[in-house]
Amino acid sequence: MSVSILIAVVTGILCGLFVFPETFSGQIGYMIDIGLCLLLFFVGIDIGRNKGVIDQIKSYGLKVLLVPLMVAAGSIIGSVAGGALLGLPFNESSAIGAGFGWYSLSAIELAKYNAQTSALAFITNVCREIFALLTIPFIARYIGKLESIAPAGATAMDTSLPVISRATDSNTAVVSFITGVVLSLLVPILVPVFISIGFK
Amino acid sequence: MRILLYLAIIIAGGFLGYWDKLPKGLTSKLSRLQFFSLLFLLFIMGLNIGLNKEVVNTFFKLGYQAVVLSIMSIIFSIAGVRIVAGIITKNKEDSENEC
Repeated sequence: MSVSILIAVVTGILCGLFVFPETFSGQIGYMIDIGLCLLLFFVGIDIGRNKGVIDQIKSYGLKVLLVPLMVAAGSIIGSVAGGALLGLPFNESSAIGAGFGWYSLSAIELAKYNAQTSALAFITNVCREIFALLTIPFIARYIGKLESIAPAGATAMDTSLPVISRATDSNTAVVSFITGVVLSLLVPILVPVFISIGFK
Repeated sequence: MRILLYLAIIIAGGFLGYWDKLPKGLTSKLSRLQFFSLLFLLFIMGLNIGLNKEVVNTFFKLGYQAVVLSIMSIIFSIAGVRIVAGIITKNKEDSENEC
C-alpha cells in the first residue's frame, strides 16, 4: 500500500519534470476535481455500508464528538504555533494543520492555491501519519487510550485504525472510527476556509 | 460552492451504500476502486509538484518544515484530547454502572 503510494507520487513528479510540458499545469485543476469526486463518492459508499456506526454514535452520545473537535483544534493550533516558529503565514500553516493527516486530500485542495504549499501539506501530513503509526502504541500505554487516537487524525478511520484497535480496546476503536469520519468530513471544508483567510 | 459539491457526493455515496442498492460487482471492488482513484490523484499531485521546478528545488527546506508542523500538530492534538478524556470516560463509566 505505502509502496504503491510512494511509486504513484514519484512517477508523477518524474513525469512532471521530464515528460509533460509546463503548459500542462493548466489542466491539473480539472483532473484533480474528477479524481477527487470519484474518491469521495467511494468513501461515501463505504461509510454508508457501515450501518453499525449510527447506532454506536447514539450509544456514546454527543460527547464523543469532543474527541474529533479537540483533535481538530489541537492540530490547527499546533500547526499555527509550528508555522510561527518557521515564519509561515497564518493561512498556510492553519490550512496545512487542517489536513489532519489526510495528505492526499489536503495537498490536492492546496494545489489550487500554490504548488509549494501543496507540497508542504503533502509532506507534513505524510510525516504525521508515519509519526502516528509509530507513536500510537506508546501513547495508548503511557498517556491514555483516547489520547492515542489524536495523532492519527483523519486516518483514525482507516490506516491507523488497526494499530489503535490493537493497542487499546473495541470501544476506543469505535471512537477512533467516529473521530476519523468527522475529521475526514472536516478536511474538505476547513482546508479551503483557512487558506482563503486574507488571500484574495 | 465546491465544498457543497464534495459533501453532496459523499452523502449521495453514503445513501447508495446504506440502501444496498448497488450491484455486488461494484461493492466487492470498492476498496480497489478507492485505491485506484487515490493512486490517480497522487500521480496528478506528483505531476503538479514535478511541473513546478521551484518546489523540487526547495524540497529539503520543506522536509524540515514538515517535521516541525506535523510534530506540533500531534502534540497539541494529544493535549486537546487529554483535556476532554476525563469527561468522556467518566460518563461512560456512569452509564455502565447504571446498567
